[in-house]
Amino acid sequence: MKPRLPKRASLLAAFLAGTALAGPLAAQTTLDVAIIGEADTFDPMMSTKDVVSIVTQHFVETLYTFDSGWNVAPLLATDLPQISDDGLTYTIGIREGVTFHDGSSMDAKDVVASLERWLEVASRGKLVADKVASVEATGDYEVTITLTEAYSPLLSLLAFSNSAAAIYPEEIIGETIDPVIGTGPYKIAEHVPDQYLQLVRFDDYSSRSEEPDGAAGARKQTVDEIRFVPVPDPNTRVEGLLSGQFDFADGLPAESYGRLESSDVADPMLLQPFGWPVFALNHKDGLLADKTIRKALQAALPMDDMLFAAFGDDKFFLTDGPLYPEGWAWRNDAGVELFNQNDQARAAELLKEAGYDGTPLRILTSRQYEFHFKMAEVARMALEAAGFTVQMDVVDWATLGERRNDPALWDIYISHSPFLPEPSLTDMYSETSRLGWSNPEKDKILAQFTSETDPDKRKELYTQLQGQVFEDVGFIKIGAFNALSGLAEGLTGVTETPWPFFWNAEPAE
Amino acid sequence: MARYIFKRLIGMMIVIFIVLTIAFIIVRLAPGDPAALMLGPEATAEDAAALRQRLGLDRPILVQYLSFVGNALQGDLGESLFFNQPVTQVLAGRAEPTIFLSLFSLLIALVIATPIGIYAAYRRGSLLDQAAITTAMLAASIPSFWTGLMLQRYLATDLGWFPVSGYGGPDTGFLERMRYLLLPSIVLGIVNSALILRFTRASMLDILGEDYIRTARSKGMGERRVVLRHALKNAAIPIITVVGLTFALLVSGAVVTERVFNIPGMGNLVVSAVLRRDYPVIQGALIVVASLYVLINLLTDLLYLVVDKRVKY
Repeated sequence: MKPRLPKRASLLAAFLAGTALAGPLAAQTTLDVAIIGEADTFDPMMSTKDVVSIVTQHFVETLYTFDSGWNVAPLLATDLPQISDDGLTYTIGIREGVTFHDGSSMDAKDVVASLERWLEVASRGKLVADKVASVEATGDYEVTITLTEAYSPLLSLLAFSNSAAAIYPEEIIGETIDPVIGTGPYKIAEHVPDQYLQLVRFDDYSSRSEEPDGAAGARKQTVDEIRFVPVPDPNTRVEGLLSGQFDFADGLPAESYGRLESSDVADPMLLQPFGWPVFALNHKDGLLADKTIRKALQAALPMDDMLFAAFGDDKFFLTDGPLYPEGWAWRNDAGVELFNQNDQARAAELLKEAGYDGTPLRILTSRQYEFHFKMAEVARMALEAAGFTVQMDVVDWATLGERRNDPALWDIYISHSPFLPEPSLTDMYSETSRLGWSNPEKDKILAQFTSETDPDKRKELYTQLQGQVFEDVGFIKIGAFNALSGLAEGLTGVTETPWPFFWNAEPAE
Repeated sequence: MARYIFKRLIGMMIVIFIVLTIAFIIVRLAPGDPAALMLGPEATAEDAAALRQRLGLDRPILVQYLSFVGNALQGDLGESLFFNQPVTQVLAGRAEPTIFLSLFSLLIALVIATPIGIYAAYRRGSLLDQAAITTAMLAASIPSFWTGLMLQRYLATDLGWFPVSGYGGPDTGFLERMRYLLLPSIVLGIVNSALILRFTRASMLDILGEDYIRTARSKGMGERRVVLRHALKNAAIPIITVVGLTFALLVSGAVVTERVFNIPGMGNLVVSAVLRRDYPVIQGALIVVASLYVLINLLTDLLYLVVDKRVKY
């Protein structure tokens, strides 16, 4: 409860605080959203950063998207594609009457040009590029994608807002896209770097008619304006939310949960689970190229302790072995008996068996994400107890990003990811990733998994793939963690997702 | 005088050239790849290499350096890797909040520190003197981020007297933007008042012990006139020096406070640029800061001429 001010003090406060006191909700049709930093680009093809996805999905759209159950659903496409029996041909109907922000109409030519650019420049587009024989306009509002081999993750890739297969007008397609012109419910009005991005309602927006369901269905322009404000300091995001300056704040520290819960201005929004911290292992070079040493590493790690040190309160983590959380189609128990062994004696035996000579195990981590560092510290103690010599390479995130590209410089690097709707959206299973994880059995399962189109068979294959992750120690999932956001009291229509969006969001009266 | 200023300006250019070279070397010695950062965590090494090529970061270091120096001499500090805007434009966009934040902070620091410093010196050993010294030590010892967080929480969030953070939105006018600077200015003003207070007190103590002050008093001159006209004027040079340095520090170093209050100023920009490995912005900011230091030092020296007629260059 805010303290009541005497009248004179209130007048002074009104003068000093100015618009801040009036608050965003007074305007009724503007949402102020605090995000963790500036988006590097407004072209979502060019980045895999979550903050880019969060912002750009409001003005750039894709052929498909995901509903609340993470099923692929049509967005700019009329419906799910017609897929030939051999899985090689995708015929996609394109919606008529969709207008770009520059006033031009979207048709198959725009889609073809956009998809061709996506295959050429986007990280995720490149994953499938060598399997695409052609992308052709087979009608004014129909596009056909022909593959050289069946590739079932294609639809998920086309639906993902991250390294997105965004649809632009053919005329603006180039190496870079500036200004970005999309078909989304909001368009860019003004961008002042590091200060705000102002999006305004796009009056000619053509919404789908189905009921909203996750990011699928109708996208109602319930507010006139959305302002994304980059606020790098998490505490400042909390204070801004609690003061009423922001209607939504992303990426809040766990410690602020209690204040948000007791506030009458804002409420906590706990996305559980958000994602999973992971120890990425170097299979190309160094100690962990040896499977027995990888098994020793796996045996030694105390996941409970690592997660507790990292997140401090079990409201924010779950010691959970399967690679997908409860309730997801991909969840299975293959190999999970090897998770959270916390058995340093067993690890010591395995090290002896491997003939470990005391070569330092290099853990590359960063304090950019404090929980990475805390997990690494606990892991170090357990690994040293097992007989490993551990070298902690604590660097800033930029340095980590550079060093992990050189397999000679690390044995483990620590990262995290949201739970992605399709396993193939992460490249850690692939031999060509930084990890370089490969064995004949896993490679065969992975090839079958990506080419199989039957959902039930894919689930079975994924169970085998997860078994390989544990059995061959491809990478190590530490557990699951929750993410805390906060929203203004009375704000409704905001879906819990790692990439929050604000069409359909309605501020309190 | 003109000759002195000319010589100082030549010296300034040499300093800036040295800073320019050091800035170029230092940012490239730091590990970290801007291309990998821009592309995000899932980007491959090949993607990062392609972007480095597009940004010209794959060219030999010497070629990059010569190109940088050549362009800088023509006033072109390059283009921000992150914002895709000329560095001069990026820096200019940050000038307003930083300059006004520095001015307000300095004003607050002077308003707090000068009268207290003078009075503390005048009443040396008194309770007020002891209290002033203790408070100044406290203000100097408490980190500005802590003061900032506390004031932000209690004065802005709880009492709603100030905006919590930022610098306004698209429809925010100049006066409203200035309101956003009030609380951070108070924080910086408190922190910086400590140094000015101690310098003012020490300088006044020296002067108040001089023979000519005793003479003035023996002539029956009023205490107010002795302290404010005779003592303060002669104590001003060290005070001006520290005020000048404080202003330069504020312009270049309000990093933590700008971060806590999310002010889009120079300090915030430099921190972000370092984290993003935005080389041209880091270099440009270092050049601007170095130039400011040299310029403020020059102005401070010229100000000595105004306050003390005995100073000659």
